[in-house]
Amino acid sequence: MSKMMSLLVWPGIAVLGAASFAALALGRGESVNAVWLVTAGLTVYLIAYRFYSKFIADRVLRLDDSRPTPALRHNDGLDYVPTNKWVLYGHHFAAIAGAGPLVGPVLAAQMGFLPGTLWILCGVVIAGAVQDFIVLFVSVRRDGKSLGEMIKMELGNVPGTLALVGVLAIMIIILAVLALVVVKALTGSPWGLFTIAATIPIALLMGVYMRVLRPGRVGEASAFGVVLLLLSIVLGQAVAEHPTWGPFFTLTGPQLAWALIGYGAVAASLPVWLMLAPRDYLSTFLKVGTIVALALGIYLVAPTLSMPATTRFIDGTGPVFSGKLFPFLFITIACGAVSGFHALISSGTTPKMIEKESHMRLIGFGGMLTESFVALMALTAACVLDPGIYFAMNAPGAVIGTTAAGAAEVISGWGFTITPELISQTARDIGESSILSRAGGAPTLAVGMAHILSQAVGGKAMQAFWYHFAILFEALFILTAVDAGTRVGRFMIQDMLGHVYKPLANTQSLGANVLGTALCVGLWGYFLYQGVVDPLGGINTLWQLFGVGNQMLAGIALLLCTSVLVKMKRERYVWVTLVPTAWLLITTLTAGVQKIFHPNPSIGFVALARKFSDAAAQGTVLAPAKSIEEMQRVAFNNYLDAAVCAFFVVLVVAMCIYALKICLQALRQASPTAHEIPALGGREGLPA
Amino acid sequence: MNATSQPSLRRSDALDPSAPDNAEGGAVGLRLRALCSACRQVFGIPDYERYVQHRAERHPGGPLLTRRQFCDEKIARKYGQGGMRCC
Repeated sequence: MSKMMSLLVWPGIAVLGAASFAALALGRGESVNAVWLVTAGLTVYLIAYRFYSKFIADRVLRLDDSRPTPALRHNDGLDYVPTNKWVLYGHHFAAIAGAGPLVGPVLAAQMGFLPGTLWILCGVVIAGAVQDFIVLFVSVRRDGKSLGEMIKMELGNVPGTLALVGVLAIMIIILAVLALVVVKALTGSPWGLFTIAATIPIALLMGVYMRVLRPGRVGEASAFGVVLLLLSIVLGQAVAEHPTWGPFFTLTGPQLAWALIGYGAVAASLPVWLMLAPRDYLSTFLKVGTIVALALGIYLVAPTLSMPATTRFIDGTGPVFSGKLFPFLFITIACGAVSGFHALISSGTTPKMIEKESHMRLIGFGGMLTESFVALMALTAACVLDPGIYFAMNAPGAVIGTTAAGAAEVISGWGFTITPELISQTARDIGESSILSRAGGAPTLAVGMAHILSQAVGGKAMQAFWYHFAILFEALFILTAVDAGTRVGRFMIQDMLGHVYKPLANTQSLGANVLGTALCVGLWGYFLYQGVVDPLGGINTLWQLFGVGNQMLAGIALLLCTSVLVKMKRERYVWVTLVPTAWLLITTLTAGVQKIFHPNPSIGFVALARKFSDAAAQGTVLAPAKSIEEMQRVAFNNYLDAAVCAFFVVLVVAMCIYALKICLQALRQASPTAHEIPALGGREGLPA
Repeated sequence: MNATSQPSLRRSDALDPSAPDNAEGGAVGLRLRALCSACRQVFGIPDYERYVQHRAERHPGGPLLTRRQFCDEKIARKYGQGGMRCC
């Protein structure tokens, strides 16, 4: 019976997918409905899940439900808890979905909707979902060990240590870039800043309620937390218009950067139950709720895509980020297609909660497909906007100027006709004073979401509410990530310092804690501040640096997966991980080398640094810098960015060599050499 | 301050259909509780009832953390060294 159903359903899905792609492909020159884009994506996910993930599960990994998982072996009710498959799928998805899939696709929309869509869909099926799934598998077969530990086990101590340093470097860059997204969204926006600031007392109140007043009653605390959040959005408008409070909440970029740096240092030092935990619950509720609302909104409103399929900016001259489609599209959209960070989650708490091996297919592969769907919706939301508005929001001030009239002229010159009135009207509609140069994805996505959701609920009058709701939703989980990330960064820094001077590794010592926190906040704060005052945009530089780092991490995780497959003597199927590894290495190494050495100063860090330091040496000031000191700072920061990028390149090349050596060794062996926990082994050799 | 009293270990504390003194009783109450438990797990909220059930099944009569101790433990683990989250 189910065979019959399957014979009917799957061809149906395939036909629907083909029709959706046909609508996208044949609709050139006229606008295409966004529903086709989203439907094309959904059918690809369904087919990939049904066939490719089954192939990986049955043939490549040979998942075996008779093998006890770490959750069953250690079942302690705290860390190791066997969890229902669908519940864990939701939990895993909530852990992997962050701001990444919302930012990258919005930036990549400058090349049109098609390049981004194709990379998101191909990338997730061939690389992203495979990585998440296999890393989860490798971790489950190793008692839920973390990525760093597994690299140590399978590839050796040196690669393990290298990978940990790499992870810390990527953490620092991601914290800086996420904080920068918040700064760009809140600069000169009293309404936005007030609602975000209000989340601090709301979280504190919730924290006290659920620990002191009614211990563990998270549901009650969250209910009033959500109500207070919505009230703060409504109240924000009155605050913004208030003669005293309005200017009080109107901050410049550098002021906001300092505020965030201070926030990060204080928040990461408070007990977790007071602010981090309650805010994390709020942000998870909003995240899941908003993603569902956006999906419903797209199908209900069925907006048309205003962005063309491809724009002239695939030639590398785009204002949002510079560089050609190859390789820069593939590092701009990281999360949503493939994200190295997921390897850390897939080897974190999730493997300790898997009940049966076969569940990993839904949780690992399916979870990543769902995140990819979020990225696709973010791309859709950016592409339903008038392209003129999109470029007004995302091009740096140095290119389009700071007035609506000037911006309209420049952007119309690119072939995206727009009037100054429409730019100012859009700003008024969403309750902001200006929408110009709000790069970073969040504001563009918020305008796109306001555009879609206001057509579903509330009409034009609700547009400002929906805009600030979307900003709140993104800022909330970015601030949670900043708080939690700073803590993790502190642990990692303390761990490393401990190798130099033992007492510094003591996480109970106040002095060592303060030092670790200060170093972590200082590092990401430096990059953040540099990005905020960078006259050329900041996001421009930092997001690509993050993309290179994140994709390198994915490359490293996939190298581990490849080595494990070879060591398991499954070399017949090694292409499953080798193909995405090769593609990631090709794109990221090309992008990394171009970012460092490209002769065009808008792409190459060294070229730009040279241009500014040479001019400074001759005493000439180049726009947009205003003084010789500013020139020297631009030069120094670009040399620094080049060094970080070079570190990522060297790291991944080194990992590649180690993995190759291990694979060649394993190929010569007659029997499997992977360090798995034996199938029938009980608890021997394992921690209790 | 002592917000919670030391809970006793009874199977009826847990999600157990066979418990005769199940307060809510009935299939609907049970479904509702299972749903709440699932939501807590999805959102990463400490699920004390589930922990109590686990202890009752595996270590009956053994020591039991209070609700606050359990929540503190769970939160400390969630945001501790391995508290990695995504971009």
